[in-house]
Amino acid sequence: MTQPAIRPRLISAEIMKIRTTRVWWIFLGIFTLFSAAALMNNFLSHHYQLYPQQDLADRAQALARATEARTPAGAAAIAASMMTSGQFLTVLIAMLLGIHVVTSEIAQRTVTTTFLVTPRRERVIVAKLAAAGVFAALFWLITTVLDAVVTPVFMASQHITASLTGQGVIRVVLLGLLAFLLWAAFGLGLGAVMRSQIASVIAGIAIYVGGFAVAELIFHGLYDLHHQAWLLGAPVIAPAVASQVMTTPAPAFPHAPPQWAGAVIMAGYALVLTAAGIVQTRRHDIS
Amino acid sequence: MVVVLAVLVAGGLVWLARRNRGKILAPVAEAESGVPGQPYVGQPIPAEQRPLGRIDVRGLTKEYRGAKVVDGVSFSAEPGQVTGFLGPNGAGKTTTLRTLLGLVEPTGGVATIGGERYADLEEPTLRVGAVLEASGAHEGRTGRNHLRVLCRAAGLPPARADAVLAAVGLTTAADRAVRGYSLGMRQRLSVAAALLGDPQVLVLDEPGNGLDPDGIRWMRELLRALAADGRTVLVSSHQLAEVEQLADALVVIAAGHVVATGTLASVVGGHPDLETAFLELTAGKGGIQ
Repeated sequence: MTQPAIRPRLISAEIMKIRTTRVWWIFLGIFTLFSAAALMNNFLSHHYQLYPQQDLADRAQALARATEARTPAGAAAIAASMMTSGQFLTVLIAMLLGIHVVTSEIAQRTVTTTFLVTPRRERVIVAKLAAAGVFAALFWLITTVLDAVVTPVFMASQHITASLTGQGVIRVVLLGLLAFLLWAAFGLGLGAVMRSQIASVIAGIAIYVGGFAVAELIFHGLYDLHHQAWLLGAPVIAPAVASQVMTTPAPAFPHAPPQWAGAVIMAGYALVLTAAGIVQTRRHDIS
Repeated sequence: MVVVLAVLVAGGLVWLARRNRGKILAPVAEAESGVPGQPYVGQPIPAEQRPLGRIDVRGLTKEYRGAKVVDGVSFSAEPGQVTGFLGPNGAGKTTTLRTLLGLVEPTGGVATIGGERYADLEEPTLRVGAVLEASGAHEGRTGRNHLRVLCRAAGLPPARADAVLAAVGLTTAADRAVRGYSLGMRQRLSVAAALLGDPQVLVLDEPGNGLDPDGIRWMRELLRALAADGRTVLVSSHQLAEVEQLADALVVIAAGHVVATGTLASVVGGHPDLETAFLELTAGKGGIQ
């Protein structure tokens, strides 16, 4: 009888693989410190938004922004921002974890043993995808708990009120979870396609950081030539921009496409890379 | 508040790392690298089930960039026997074994175990155990965790990991990271992984590498006992004197072709020993360049 591609015992084995090496603790430590640092940065940034410094050149404008930030809508936006502190940076760590899950097997030459136990390699990749998803969700949970502990303290200390359980905040927090999951899948697919750990890490960071700048540069250049408004929204084809569009309730930038477009593009990248990774893994001889 | 939180988290992580370091990085005592006093005890294979352990390789060919590394290789390995798989470096032994185990896709021909390709076996760990390279384990993982991961993936109880660790004499080193293992210990960990599912077929590529004389004798006795229970044992080796003591049948391969098959006695023929026979059979047919 044909067995399903998703096997719980393989997922359990892949989770155990991750948590039984020190690399996992390094990932966890870096992630937690990044999350805490990003939260602290966001804390100070919003504090100075609400209480502009005395020596600002455009203090009048800053005071106007502070007044706007104290409105219910402004306070809700600050609450949503605090509850997703540092997400731009922390999803990068989820991507690196996805890369690590698949390429460490090749770097450590454990892939032979893995495929001897499970010769149907697509099952291994699917199990790795699920395991990377579990740890990406754990990352999200850690950062969300940190945010949920600090945000009420911040709001009270700044004398502003906004519901942390309102639809707006819950929505951005859950979209954050989706971003963590999709970036982990993106990293896993990239690692499975490229196979080399170092090359995958460099490519992943370049796509994440460089793709943002390159897409902006190309489409703004094209806009200067053709003046078509849609060109200003086109950078969404870069994964990092798509992710930002997906997780930002207000337009992430002028002419940005709607959130669902960012989600579809990001999910498309994750899906295509994972599928390409499965094809590559099945074809490659383990010699 | 955030600083306090960050310090608490970092402190917790340092504590956890220290707690694990003691387990993972402690050096391995020499006394713990010995071999077990008791031979491995597995379930004997019933007579009616033995044909499922027959290895059949027919017309196997593998090309890499136009060069035939394995060229029309055919042989069988029978249940209840140790079959030695011999050949010079680069003769195609490892490629043949990896193709048999579904790790390398053949250009032509077919290799089966009990009539099925390895990749088609639903529970391969319960049918076939393989030793292809020293340990095959993550350097930072402990020997016990390496085997427990395999148990999970294969659907075996974790206690099976402890049983095979005892069988290969690694119980006291089980909770240390593999990076601290000697080559011999890695080989024994690899053997332990191969025995996890108490399989009917054992395929071993140079299992004697890194073993001391005690270890080599232990390995010989282990493989003889496994074959005596009705298992099929296919083992490649360069240690011809050892193979002469171990094997019932031989397959000799050179430059990607089989140059001799048969019982040990028939391959040695009129030569004084296996080494002389091997050197004559493979003369001028070194590995593919």
